Parts: sequence; C-alpha cells; structure tokens
Amino acid sequence: MPFEFEEILETIKMTEIEHFDIRTVTMGISLRDCVDRNIEVTKQKMYDKILKYGSNHVKYAQEVEKRYGISIANKRISITPLSIPLDAFKWEDFVEVAKTLDKAAAEIGIDYLAGYSALVQKGFTNGELELLKSIPYTLSETKRICSSVNVASTKAGINIDAINLVAEAIKKTAEMTKDQDSIGCAKFVCFANAVEDNPFVAGAFHGISEPEVVLNVGISGPGVVLDAIKAAGSCDMNHLADVIKRTVFKITRAGELLGRKVAEQHGIPFGIVDVSLAPTPAEGDSIGDILMAMGLADIGGPGTTAALALLNDSVKKAGLMASTNVGGMSGAFIPVSEDQGMIRAVENGSLCIEKLEAMTCVCSVGLDMIAVPGDTTAATIAGVIADEAAIGIINDKTTAVRIIPAYGKKVGDSVDYGGLLGKAPIMSVRNINCSTFMGRGGRFPAPTRSLTN
Amino acid sequence: MKLSEDEIRRITLTAINEMGDDATPELVKKAVSRAVSKLDTQPDFSKSTSSNQGRLILTSFGLNQTGVVAKITTELSECGCDLQDISQKLMDDFYTLIVIVDISGSSKNMSEIQEKMNKIAEALKIKIYLQHEEIFRQMHRI
Repeated sequence: MPFEFEEILETIKMTEIEHFDIRTVTMGISLRDCVDRNIEVTKQKMYDKILKYGSNHVKYAQEVEKRYGISIANKRISITPLSIPLDAFKWEDFVEVAKTLDKAAAEIGIDYLAGYSALVQKGFTNGELELLKSIPYTLSETKRICSSVNVASTKAGINIDAINLVAEAIKKTAEMTKDQDSIGCAKFVCFANAVEDNPFVAGAFHGISEPEVVLNVGISGPGVVLDAIKAAGSCDMNHLADVIKRTVFKITRAGELLGRKVAEQHGIPFGIVDVSLAPTPAEGDSIGDILMAMGLADIGGPGTTAALALLNDSVKKAGLMASTNVGGMSGAFIPVSEDQGMIRAVENGSLCIEKLEAMTCVCSVGLDMIAVPGDTTAATIAGVIADEAAIGIINDKTTAVRIIPAYGKKVGDSVDYGGLLGKAPIMSVRNINCSTFMGRGGRFPAPTRSLTN
Repeated sequence: MKLSEDEIRRITLTAINEMGDDATPELVKKAVSRAVSKLDTQPDFSKSTSSNQGRLILTSFGLNQTGVVAKITTELSECGCDLQDISQKLMDDFYTLIVIVDISGSSKNMSEIQEKMNKIAEALKIKIYLQHEEIFRQMHRI
C-alpha cells in the first residue's frame, strides 16, 4: 500500500473529527479597468467583470471539496481597493457601486466580497475621503460587502487624521446597524501594514501589485493542532513547537493542493496560501483552547503572550517549509467572538482588552471582533486604533482593529451574529480621555529601523 | 457570440497589422472571421477534465457485519473500477477498511461512484469516504 494505514486514518480524523477545513478560497479580481466617467457604465463594467471571472467560483470550489473530501467553508472575492478606480466619484456614487457589487456577489453565490477599501497611510486623495465618508452607508445597506482602511505603515508612519475619521465611521456604522447588533462594524477592519494578498475578510483586497485575477487560499485548523497538543501530553517547549509544526505542515500542504486545484479549474494563476489558524465558534476549534492545552489555566493571565508567540512562530515556520507560496497574514488569529475559548475567558473576567493588545504584538493580526459598550467615544476608539497601529509600525508587522461599539449595549451584555462571526461579550474599555492627544491630528512620523531596543 | 471589449480590441489590432493601408471591406471581413474562429479554438476552462482520472482511496469503518467488504467491492467492480490494494483491520466489533481504487478505466466519474457508496453507507449504517489519492500524497509525503 502506498500509504500507511495510520496516515490515511489521520487525514480522515482531521476532517471528520477535528474540524479541519479550508477557511476560504478567495478570488482576487482587478477592477482597475472598469472605470468610466458615467457611473452607470462603471457599475455595469464592474458587475460584468465579477460575473465573468466569478460565476463558477462556488461550483469549482464544491467540485474540489468533493474530490478531496475536505470542505471549504467560504468562497469569497476580493477586488482592487475601490477608492482607486472610483477616485473621481462622490460618496453617494460609492454606495451605489457597493450595492451593485453586493448584487453581483449574491448572483454568483459567494459569502463575501471584500475590497471596499482605501490605503491612506500617508494621506488622502479626494476619492479616498469620499470612500471613508460612505463606509457607514455602504455597510448598512449591503449584506456581503466588507470594507477596510489601511491607516499606517512602517514606511509612511501613522495617518492620525485617517484614524479619527475611521473612528467616527465605526461609531456611525454601529448606530446605522443598531437593529442587528451593530453588525456593520463586524464587516470593517482598520489596518497598519495591510498585506495585498490576504484572503481573509473583512480585510481582504486585491492589492495594486497583484495580477489581473488570482486565486488565494486561507487554511484553518485550530482543532487539529489542539488534538495534537493534547496527544503530546507533558513534553518540553522544543517538543511542543515540533508537534505544532508537524501538524501545521500537513494542513498547509492540503490547503495548497485545494487552492491550486480550484485555480486550475478556473484557468487562473494560483497566488498564495495564507497559513493562518482561523478559529470558528464550533467547540474545540479554538485558539484559546490551544493555549490552555499548552498549560495555561485560562487565557489572559501571565504566560498567555509567550504561549501565543510559540504557537504563532511554529505555525509560520511550518507553513514556510510546506509551501513556497506562503503569504497573507500567516499566523494565529485571535478574534474574540469567533473563538469559544476566548469568549469564555472574557466572560470569566480573565481576558481584558489590554492583555489582548499585548497578545497582538506576537499574533498575526490584532484586536479582532471585540465588542465594547455602545457609549464608547469615537476618541477612545481612535486611541485604541492608534495604539494598535503603533505596535504594527514599530514592530514591522501587520496589526488590525475590528471593534464593535455595540449600540445601546453595556458590559455584561453580548452581541450574537451566528455563523462564523459568532458571539461577542461586551468588554470593558478604559474611558480615560485621549481626545486632546488624538485631536492633534497630522501624521505620526515613520519609525527608525535601527536602535531596535 | 458575445465578444468582450478586450477581444474586439485584439481583433482590430490584428487587422491593422495585417492590412495597413491596403484595407478593403472584403479583406477586413476575412481577417475578422479568421480572428473570431481562432477565438473559438481557445481552451474552454469551464469544462472539468480531471474528475475521472487517477486513483482514489476509499476508507470505510463502522460496526462489523457480514458482507460489508463484498457489498463495497461488488459495487466498485460493477462501476469498472480496478482495486489495486485492500487492507482491513478489526478491533473488537469495529472494522476499518482501506481500498486503493483506480477509476481510470471506469465509465463512471468520481461523484457518481461517491453517490453509489453513499447509498451503501446509508443502508449498512457505516461510513464510507472516497478521496483522491493526491491529498494523502500531499499531506504525508515530501
């Protein structure tokens, strides 16, 4: 037999018991050639192009799922940051285009279409300002559109004015989607050092250096890693890192195969595999549970950051060994609402925003899916984003904030979105005023790359 | 036939290159129809070509009962599949069966065979998974 009995059973166990699935196959489509001075023509061109490339996206992904017996949770599309093709338009036009894109997404049956984005780390163009203004309207009037704004980078510094505008947009989005627990905010993320080939929403977009069309894949699989760590029992850190690497190696290889096959079916180039451990609200499919299996009594106490760093570093190393096309975020995600272990830790009072912030220094993204009281001020939200952006640019890594100031809710309540977005307990945030600091505006200069102490 | 703007632009450029200043309505017509017929022969990515090639690995487990292996293998041979290796293990009342199946000679494609296996699995209350061999090679071999 070409494979050992145990090898075959291990694969079956991963997919059937340990929730191993591919989180997303995301098709990136450039919309840079879809612009016309007439907004109606622009809308039609964008709609046609998405249908041209994306019509079979769901069908091909399902065929590949069947062939290999591994499910693909989400089928998505990412587009050129929309402020680029629409730079000459007004904010009302942006909303109209978003509705057309939402219609195209529904037509081809994908889960999300992301790229309602602007890259403003150094400054704004007129179109980018219009896009920022339109975000609350778009997120409240569409279902599948995800938005992101890059406000900082190691090369450019932090655009504080952009952060202040984004914070206002988040507050307004929360209010405009108050009937659905402020769900609009769950579809918006603010980045520092955003990557151009990220297949995960809400932050996916088809970067300006990407080809015409490309297929990226994002893996998942915390459940598989959790079981491997449990099976390893009491071993030292070296061995623990090795166990994580061996497991992630296998799931990366599987992810790459599925991504390549979907790309092959489409006849388009394969881009990257994003080696990210993305949790789901399902029991056992949790990063929090992994950290506890590593030996922590709960998430949020001393040792949490170190445990997460070990996990994150091992995931990256294994991914790089398994595939030459590693890209995107590639690490461990720590979204609160999408992870049972994290939700429990918040409800127990073990995990607070400040500890989460420390954890983002070593994880792959940032403060993700965090619900805070509805009366949190825009200045406080801006302060939280600025802190995260500072961590990102100083440490030369991607950081992000996806925060939900849940309208009308207070600490002790929760918001429940169901599905992959999960349920978020409202976390307390220190309302110590930073409005004078953030109100200074301007640009936080780019950091030095030497004297890194 | 619906042509995209891109294709129209390409055809126009071809025509300009070929004819230059000598263009007559007839020549233009000929060049265009030649270019359009070339478009037709470009590969069509919408057809899936790989669904009945190569080897599959069938894994089945459940409560052991008379005729489980026979039912599965009979159905596979009726589909024209070649069974290249079979391995079975028993643990108390449970069995695990792994079969390497070559479907290159089968008239059925993978999803049709999967459909038939699902029926057996349902009738016997067992589990049957059918996956392409590539996934195991990718995960367990460097």
